[in-house]
Amino acid sequence: MQRQTQGDPHSELAATVGFIARYASYLMGSGVHTSRVVRNSRRIGSALDVEINLAVFPKSIIVSGTDAHGESFSRVVAIPACPIDFERNADLSALSWEAHDRRLPLAQIEQRYEELCAKPRLDPMLVMILAGLANASFCRLFGGDFKAMGIVFTATLFGFFVKQKLAQRGMNHYLLFIAAAFAASLMSSLSLILDTTSDVALATSVLFLIPGVPLINGFIDIIEGHILTGISRLTAAIMLIACIAIGLSATLMMVKSELL
Amino acid sequence: MIETVSAILADGFFAAVAALGFGAISNPPMRAFPRIALLAAAGHALRFTLMTYFGVDIATGSLCASLTIGFGSMMLGRRIHCPTTVMSIPALLPMIPGMYAYKSMFSIVMFFQKIDDTAVCAAYLDTALRNGMITVFVILTLAAGATLPILMFPSKAYTMTRRQQCQNNA
Repeated sequence: MQRQTQGDPHSELAATVGFIARYASYLMGSGVHTSRVVRNSRRIGSALDVEINLAVFPKSIIVSGTDAHGESFSRVVAIPACPIDFERNADLSALSWEAHDRRLPLAQIEQRYEELCAKPRLDPMLVMILAGLANASFCRLFGGDFKAMGIVFTATLFGFFVKQKLAQRGMNHYLLFIAAAFAASLMSSLSLILDTTSDVALATSVLFLIPGVPLINGFIDIIEGHILTGISRLTAAIMLIACIAIGLSATLMMVKSELL
Repeated sequence: MIETVSAILADGFFAAVAALGFGAISNPPMRAFPRIALLAAAGHALRFTLMTYFGVDIATGSLCASLTIGFGSMMLGRRIHCPTTVMSIPALLPMIPGMYAYKSMFSIVMFFQKIDDTAVCAAYLDTALRNGMITVFVILTLAAGATLPILMFPSKAYTMTRRQQCQNNA
């Protein structure tokens, strides 16, 4: 409706490209693999009769749209650093099909987008406990006993708490991972006092920090030919793994010097 | 026999818990949780069985497991309108070789601690390379196995989140 009253084809095109730029950069930032972002964006574009082309770089996206009159408009957007979010991935992908199948107007797509983005994430406390249980199970898979599992559970809760608190203060991502790995492993070094599989406990206590999603996404990107974004995701993940190793080595140097 | 079965089931159970917990950090939709747990248990238990009882190496075992998860997520995803990766990535997380990645990095740290001792240095370098190789190839096979179904059936994989009733209304 709004489109008819506005009537200016150029500002309409600008609005469409602007929305798709926001949509695509949000998806890229929240850990969706590149080919899906491109596909979804083009699908929304075709629903609005705009041909969309994306050039995706590690920190920014160039979005260009061409309408039925052959007029084109392009924008460069920065990719925000969002937490990884599979629910948005599923919902916003479904939104692109909804727009395509129902030929929704831009205003309505934007409204649905805002609604879906406003959905709350899982409760942080619940996530923390689930992560603790997950890491304890991991300890079990690597041959830890029940005492070690208990220690890893506690250590993960502590490490996760430290990570969440420091993240709220806006600490640098890498320093945050070093601090969280140090905190979790220091906590799990209590297992050295007890008669248990303390080696497994120490090593698994930091594994909840391993950036598994970017590692898999990076390889998926490379397999699908988006080599630039793939390598950048893998590089970021390797940097984080190095930070985890630094945090853990700090603990090992303190509590278990004979191991070194 | 019973011991074997219970070991496999226990492995699947702990893998499912690990997948849900590590997955929860990345906020998957609630409706996907049971399917993630099922896929993770099936994949990890399969790898455990192959590696423990059939002497399969970790890379091949991971490939078999990730193919199971990839095809499984395609079959299970349509009903709940989830892209395949929303289920397959959390289900793959317990198989991410975090321990090998960590050991590799740790050996590099230690390499510099013992830089003057040639023999010890060589041993750490060996450990770093071996664990690094395992890490890279296991993650590669995990991603490849999860992507192969998408590459084989693109039209099916790309319409996972499409709602059928919308088409009828249109």
